Amino acid sequence: MPFICNFPFFSILLSLFSGTVCSMLPAKAAKVVNRAVILAVGLMSAVLLLYLLSTGESFVYWMGHFPAPWGNEIRAGVLEAGMALFFCIIMYLSMAGGAHKLPGEVVESKHNLYYILVNLLLCSLLALVYTNDMFTAYVFVEINTISACGLIMIRQVGRTIEAAVRYMIMSLLGSGLLLFGLCIMYDLTGHLLMSNIKESVGLLIATGEYQIPLIVSVALMCIGLCIKSALFPFHAWLPDAYGYSTVSSAAILSSLVSKGYIFLLIKIIYRVIGFDIFNSTRIIDVLFIFGLMGMIFGSLSAIKENDIRRMIAFSSVAQIGYIYMGFGMGTQAGMVASIFHILSHAATKSLLFVAAIGLTDVSGGSRKFADLTGAAYRNKWAGAAFTVGSLSMVGIPLFSGFISKLLFAQAAVQVEGKMLASLIVLGISTVLNAVYFMKTVIRIYTAAPDAPYTGITFRNMKAYAVVLVCFMVLNVILGVSSQPIVDIIAQGLAMFA
Amino acid sequence: MYLILSSIFFPIIAGVFLLIRYRTPLSGENRNADRKTLLLLTGSFLVITAALVAAALLTAKEGFTLFYLTKNLPIFFQIDNIGTLFSLLAVIVLPCAGFFSFEYMKHEEREGRYYGFYLLVFGILNALCFAGNLITFYLFFELLTLSSMPLVLHNGSKEAVMAGLKYLFYSLCGAYAALFGIYFLYRNCDSLTFTTEGALRASAIAGQGGFLMVVAFIMLLGFGVKAGMFPMHAWLPTAHPVAPAPASAVLSAVIVKAGVLAIIRVLGMFGTDFLRGTWVQNTWLCLTLITVFMGSLLAYREPVLKKRLAYSTVSQLSYILFGLAVMQETALTGALLHVLAHGFVKAALFLCAGAIIYRTEKTRVEEMRGIGKEMPFTMWCFTIASLGLIGIPPTGGFLSKWYLALGSLKSGISVFDVLGPVILLVSALLTAGYLLPLTIHGFFPGADYDYKSLQKEEPCKLMTIPILVLTILSVLIGLFPDIIIHLIHMAVVG
Amino acid sequence: MIISVILIPFIAGILVPAIPFKKRWQKEIFLETAVVLNSILVWYLLLHHSDSTFLLAHFTGNLNISFRVDGMSMVFAGLVSALWPFATLYAFEYMTKEDHENVFFLFYTLTYGVTLGIALAANLLTMYFFYELLTLVTVPLVMHTLTREAVLASRKYLYYSLGGAAFAFLGLIMVIVYGSTTDFILGGVLDPAKIAGKTNVLLLIYVMAFMGFGVKAAVCPFNSWLPQAGVAPTPVTALLHAVAVVKSGAFAIIRLTYYSFGTDFLKGTWAQDVVMAVVMFTIVYGCSRAVKETHIKRRLAYSTISNLSYILFGAVIMTPLGLVGALSHLVFHAVMKISSFFCAGAVMHQTDRHYVHELNGLGYKMPCVFGIFTVSALALMGVPGLAGFVSKWNLAGAAVESGNPLAWGGIACLLVSALLTAIYMLTIVVRAFFPGKGFDYSSVSDARDPNWKMLLPLFVFTVFIILFGVYSQPLVDFFMSVAAGAV
Repeated sequence: MPFICNFPFFSILLSLFSGTVCSMLPAKAAKVVNRAVILAVGLMSAVLLLYLLSTGESFVYWMGHFPAPWGNEIRAGVLEAGMALFFCIIMYLSMAGGAHKLPGEVVESKHNLYYILVNLLLCSLLALVYTNDMFTAYVFVEINTISACGLIMIRQVGRTIEAAVRYMIMSLLGSGLLLFGLCIMYDLTGHLLMSNIKESVGLLIATGEYQIPLIVSVALMCIGLCIKSALFPFHAWLPDAYGYSTVSSAAILSSLVSKGYIFLLIKIIYRVIGFDIFNSTRIIDVLFIFGLMGMIFGSLSAIKENDIRRMIAFSSVAQIGYIYMGFGMGTQAGMVASIFHILSHAATKSLLFVAAIGLTDVSGGSRKFADLTGAAYRNKWAGAAFTVGSLSMVGIPLFSGFISKLLFAQAAVQVEGKMLASLIVLGISTVLNAVYFMKTVIRIYTAAPDAPYTGITFRNMKAYAVVLVCFMVLNVILGVSSQPIVDIIAQGLAMFA
Repeated sequence: MYLILSSIFFPIIAGVFLLIRYRTPLSGENRNADRKTLLLLTGSFLVITAALVAAALLTAKEGFTLFYLTKNLPIFFQIDNIGTLFSLLAVIVLPCAGFFSFEYMKHEEREGRYYGFYLLVFGILNALCFAGNLITFYLFFELLTLSSMPLVLHNGSKEAVMAGLKYLFYSLCGAYAALFGIYFLYRNCDSLTFTTEGALRASAIAGQGGFLMVVAFIMLLGFGVKAGMFPMHAWLPTAHPVAPAPASAVLSAVIVKAGVLAIIRVLGMFGTDFLRGTWVQNTWLCLTLITVFMGSLLAYREPVLKKRLAYSTVSQLSYILFGLAVMQETALTGALLHVLAHGFVKAALFLCAGAIIYRTEKTRVEEMRGIGKEMPFTMWCFTIASLGLIGIPPTGGFLSKWYLALGSLKSGISVFDVLGPVILLVSALLTAGYLLPLTIHGFFPGADYDYKSLQKEEPCKLMTIPILVLTILSVLIGLFPDIIIHLIHMAVVG
Repeated sequence: MIISVILIPFIAGILVPAIPFKKRWQKEIFLETAVVLNSILVWYLLLHHSDSTFLLAHFTGNLNISFRVDGMSMVFAGLVSALWPFATLYAFEYMTKEDHENVFFLFYTLTYGVTLGIALAANLLTMYFFYELLTLVTVPLVMHTLTREAVLASRKYLYYSLGGAAFAFLGLIMVIVYGSTTDFILGGVLDPAKIAGKTNVLLLIYVMAFMGFGVKAAVCPFNSWLPQAGVAPTPVTALLHAVAVVKSGAFAIIRLTYYSFGTDFLKGTWAQDVVMAVVMFTIVYGCSRAVKETHIKRRLAYSTISNLSYILFGAVIMTPLGLVGALSHLVFHAVMKISSFFCAGAVMHQTDRHYVHELNGLGYKMPCVFGIFTVSALALMGVPGLAGFVSKWNLAGAAVESGNPLAWGGIACLLVSALLTAIYMLTIVVRAFFPGKGFDYSSVSDARDPNWKMLLPLFVFTVFIILFGVYSQPLVDFFMSVAAGAV
């Protein structure tokens, strides 16, 4: 086993320990450490991805060389490595994009706490991505929840406490359900390792025993993860949590945290239950319907919103709906589309959050649309970035959103019964997206000659502007050369089996 | 070829020239001198055009294609007998009314515009008469509407403008209904060149004969708008009274006849055999008779002289249409004869009314008591023309109505063969009822008439001579019908 | 070569704000040269076209961005490139009274490139791409004045267009999944083996895609953005909202109907009936609204709505002749409507009058403008001898020949609309030339004809209106060969 195979383990461990280290460092150093860790993990993931692509096979890594069922396993395939790499990129950009706001948002003394939480979050995300063990997954789900809560709460103004409590309750409910499901599953199969469970589930299905508990267990796990990833109608915690936390937190929470849970769900579907078995249950129909409803209602709520951050947050509800719609189609193509949308949405949504802060900054800090009038003239880079993000959300060709829409639609056409519903909802949802995003774009490009705010030039926000450019480039890359990425996703899914 | 073309385009170019040259109103010190040149120009243009038309009628027999609008859509001119007949009417009435205008329009603004459009109308009318196929005809039919509208709204009052627009929209409505038919004719005929025997392909008749009848009916209704046929007659009584009297004369005597000409052409295209005895014929007969009766009745009740004449036109035109609808040779002869007879008579009547308005500014019939004493010459002409319209021998009107009635009786259509003549007769009585009181009260104003204040109001020669010419012609057709009937016979038989 | 005609306007457009021109005339010359050069290039390309496809980039899967010149693209690209130099010339004069013209000319010129992209696209995806792009580059033009009205209009325009594209997208998906290729091939690309048993779904999606592209072509009930977008400067309303943008919608529908789904598949189905009924309704609806409207440009916009549906009517007859009718109206209406819009713009520019009732008596003070307006009005009505007649003749001829009773009803709609056209156009003419008795001519003494930069385009368009009216055969023959797939 070559050295590279240690990388997943290293990256989890690195981020975990850096979290601990950060608590002892001054804020500035913590920041450096944090960046370095993200970069290092990203680098390792990239190398791992290349390695896996060259071998074309996934591998299982025994922690401490104890074989299952005593040991703890890590599994790395193309998809996992790719996802880890992507998470690192987004996280780095989000952190960099929100860095200049941090002193204003978080009290100086808590800065290193902030970086601890970010590191822990990264750690838990990586663990969720790589783990091959259900219980480990559960543990890191909890760690994830706690660190996310901390990230929301650390900005101690206004509604963040309330939002964090809300998030906490909903999240715990979600992880509780997950735990229930897990218990039942353990009861049924006697295993915690994914591959072992899958074998047993296969046997159970074949013998026809314990069907109902099995379904209940799967359903509980699904619902738990749905709540945590804010699928409609479990999204009530989301707008406040994303809307009032710090910029970086919002960007990370919306684009990564929920995606981590979704990725875990994908792993459960493929690696624990088995894709075909999962599709034969009616759960996918439920997911499908909730997905569709999320697409519509999320957008409708966003249209009604008068606060740019909350609007973007509500838009996430709709986008999560897209992803679950893809699950609900129950086909490989739908799954590929969903995974691509995870990437696309993560890239776009963090871009939007980061750009939005640039806009509100030059509007006296207000997030109300009325004050944002003409903001794009005052901060040209943020304006352009927000426009790019919006166009991507609406699904204009050249941007990543278009590709996900294309993949979703193509997948939908292949599913006889769900085709019309998904196509029509896709159309309507695009219209709704256009309504609120374009409304905002026009608003920020409407000149406001008597606005009392001063603009900001490139010279005063070099780092920020560079981040925005990176985001835009990332978005366009996803939009233009999507084929390799789609291939990797398909390859990764194939490795899951 | 060149004669035909020049008789069409010379007046059009002349008209455009006048429009551009006199685009601003005549005013200032040179008004009289300018006006003199304008009249001189217009007069010579009118005469030259008339001469060109006459020459064209006498010499040109060959049809020719000017150019192709698109493939299979030639702009094609040809002089045939029916065209000649209508052209005769135009070429006589237009110069007469034109010279009449010289005096009548003396006090109006923007005479240049009036004469410009007048000449345009002249040229377009010639083109209509000489058109050799349906598309050429349609082209000039639309242009006729457009160029005659300014004549209607010439005086520029709100009322006139509204009337002009009403005229425009009614006419266009009709033209478009006709165009609907042309589309279908084009597909179902080998060519759109005029014929009298029907041009529909046998296969088309067999295949979609029922629908083609609907098409034919729509076309009849459409072109019927111009000819004032019920139910689309309403523009006529609105447009005529507001137009200057000579313009009303031209409208009533000639321009509405374009609708008649169109219907004759359309009938030829569909072929009378195709339509005879069908619901199309019956409905059409019904409509014409309603119009005849209704027009007369409305005229009878109408107090304003020009409006009364306009209603009379509605009624009289449907005489002609009735003759066409009977689809019988004798009736057709009567109809064509009535085209001429009514044309001359109605032009004369309108010019008389114009003369009265010009001299006395009286417009309502009851004001015209004793008018015969003031303007004896005019009223004599009016009376003779009236007799022609009523249909008293030896005027042309008698002859045409005679033929109409005869043809109707011969036709053998159930009900209508008798009903037609009866209604024509009733309508003739009503005609007498609405025209003769003018004469009676005009010449016999009653005992209480104040003879002392009587003034001679006879207009100048520029007005009386055109009236006289038209009146004489209306009688002459009745006295010497042979030439005309020969011409009509040629047209009918081919 | 083919990509350069799309890129040149992009580069020229971006250079306008980038180069610090000292004088205005330098900018004018620069832009006009670029546009004229590009137009010449386009025409050269069209006349010397080869059948080869230029592949710009692979997109994803078997989808790619590629360009090709075929009959349809020749018609549309030829039309657009013929009109653009004139419109630019006109815009120079018009924009003297407007602010921040650099931005205006930037997007105005960009639009040229994007429109050519739509015209020259070789497959549905490329067209869809430029179609979306077109929406985006034209929004700043609508927003130009930045008044509240303009912002609302552009918002609406965006919602409608993007929403429409979202549904057109479904059609794209169908072609990708059920077609043998996404390239445009006359007769359609649907694979009979794949579509077996899915006819109704495909038809439903076709109707949706039709309505989706129809948003740009202002099909009822998605037409209300167009009159509102009339707040844009006149060169925009005239060129984009009478030609480039809205015709892109019609063009896209033709591509979708004839080149992707294929008429064999669609003809005689309920989908055809539905779209034809919608189109017929729009024809009459647009005209009726135009009659009611008193703002000149909005009136013309409603007229555009109606006339666009003429084109679509031709398209949904789904016969080669129908396509000929659609194409002829596509071209002729462009010339007629741009001419009447420019007249309206000239009036607004010279006298600052915006409503029909303010036009009384202007005809004598601005004889050229109103003379030309009259010609375009008559042409729009369909008076024989002018361009409008020929296209209506072709449309009606196709409808008659199709033997479809609904299409026959469509002829009636065309004629009703012609009558309404007469009403709303000629009332303007009558007002201008016959202001009524006692009209105070001193109230219009300030009005006069604009200078040559405005008049030249007008005269050229008028010449074309008449020329097409009396001698359209070569052009119609060309459309015939396009419809037959011979070009």
